[in-house]
Amino acid sequence: MSSLPEHAVERGELAVVTHALSMRYGRETALEGVDLRVPEGAVYVLIGTNGAGKSTAMKVLLNLVRPDSGRAEVFGLDTASRGAEVRAQIGYIPESHAHDYAWMTCGRLMQHAAAHYPSWDHAYAAQLVEVFGVRADRKLGTLSKGEARRLQFVLALAHRPPLLLLDEPTDGLDPVMRNGTLAQLAGHLADTPTTVIIATHHVHEVESLADHVGVLREGRLAAQMTRDDLRRMVARYRVEVPEGWQPPSELRVLRRSRTGREMQWTLAGERDDVTARLAAAGATVRDVTALSLEEAALAFLSEEEAA
Amino acid sequence: MQPSLHGTPRGREVVLEQVRITGLALRREALVVAVVLAIVSVPIFVDIANGTAGTWFDSSDWVPLGVISLLFPFAMWRGEKRFAPSFFWTLPVDRRKLALTRVFAGWVWLMVALAIFFCWHRGLALLSGVAGAETTSLMAFPGTTTFYLFGSAFVLGLRHPLRWFLGTFGVFFLLASLNEAVGRTPEGHSRLFMSSSFLRWIAYGPYGIDTLLDSKALQSVLNAATRGVIPTFFWLAAGLAVLWAAASRHGERRRH
Repeated sequence: MSSLPEHAVERGELAVVTHALSMRYGRETALEGVDLRVPEGAVYVLIGTNGAGKSTAMKVLLNLVRPDSGRAEVFGLDTASRGAEVRAQIGYIPESHAHDYAWMTCGRLMQHAAAHYPSWDHAYAAQLVEVFGVRADRKLGTLSKGEARRLQFVLALAHRPPLLLLDEPTDGLDPVMRNGTLAQLAGHLADTPTTVIIATHHVHEVESLADHVGVLREGRLAAQMTRDDLRRMVARYRVEVPEGWQPPSELRVLRRSRTGREMQWTLAGERDDVTARLAAAGATVRDVTALSLEEAALAFLSEEEAA
Repeated sequence: MQPSLHGTPRGREVVLEQVRITGLALRREALVVAVVLAIVSVPIFVDIANGTAGTWFDSSDWVPLGVISLLFPFAMWRGEKRFAPSFFWTLPVDRRKLALTRVFAGWVWLMVALAIFFCWHRGLALLSGVAGAETTSLMAFPGTTTFYLFGSAFVLGLRHPLRWFLGTFGVFFLLASLNEAVGRTPEGHSRLFMSSSFLRWIAYGPYGIDTLLDSKALQSVLNAATRGVIPTFFWLAAGLAVLWAAASRHGERRRH
């Protein structure tokens, strides 16, 4: 399911586009025909369970791993042939907190990164160091998970990249720091025109930032739409049905539960259309409830089991 | 409307930063070498005082330097995830160029270390009154460079370079043992390698390993008219070719 218009691609309004990305690690499918469409300036939350392919998709965008088939573009640049240019546009927070240079101090690592990003904003970096409480004299090998994550935020934001790839960005942060970090991220987005892809399975944490959603399930893109569309098109229907009633086959059922003759269904589709179809099939719709982003995402993630 | 895209760093900036960061990463190894040289200097000074230091400088065998140069890349790339997504590969530089830049940075420090070693060696030789061609040779620079290139190719091109290195070392050790068992010709050549024209070419031919290791070839760099220049550059070119192939494993279009 995708409500992102293809003509936006032609107009060059998409920051990130992937075309039928597929990749396997041995026998495990990491990505299967994934067509991401991330509009410029969007905060796109990529939702999925562990191993759904979120991190792999990000690594493909950085050309850190190569897909078996398909291709990806970032701001119109092919990630495979113009990897260096693509990476110059990206601020990346990896899933892992560990850093390869345990002997290096935080300050030296920032200096190292600054030498590789011509757009590095030294004044902003100093400000971020202050805000995130990063101590420049600390060695990377001695950092806690939270400290390492905060340093990664500084490295990702300080060159004001047009695209941020954040892989489980709040992982390792305590609740206070998590709120502060997300507030800082929101401030950054307000100051700097940025497209953001956030891969997470803690949807509620980034719900206030998100305006686009993609749901990856077992390497496949189960849904991709704007947040508004998601709210409009995915809802919980409480219906009363007669004995022996069969649902219309054309409805996309994400979740269902039953109490006596009353059923609760989470359905995808235009609300009026779904209601009309249910009514035409003989069911009485008692009420329709909009879902939160997290509830809707969970519904997509559990769709297969429900079906 | 496309946002204004950021540029990639200038090559000069990347090279300078890689030289700086590689130097910092090798501080511990540099300290160990400095301590070893300081310790070795003590008995040399004692022998110089006794007028018996000549034996310290009568060797023209630079094999230990070759081995150190071969192992140097292992220290240089220690901790770097060469075949996995890592911070190094997220930098906005063409991946093969970045790998080669790091190799170049290591080479710069290797040459600095070698120059310091030469100064130390030649200085002590002068103090002991044993100066001349037998003490040190500038040939060690291209020689160690060649070993360094092959070592770097090992580390960059292979997922498990230490296993390969130990395997190769084991084969050489076996060959050397066999070689000693078979014995040498009156000219000092290995009977084992002289037993076959191919092995003879590999060991003692104009492009052979002996030419690379032997100070004759090193000295030949000083005198372009002699035969040693071509083999020296042959090995250098081979090292560069192997390194290029190894670095290409990390190219933008390669699959991990």
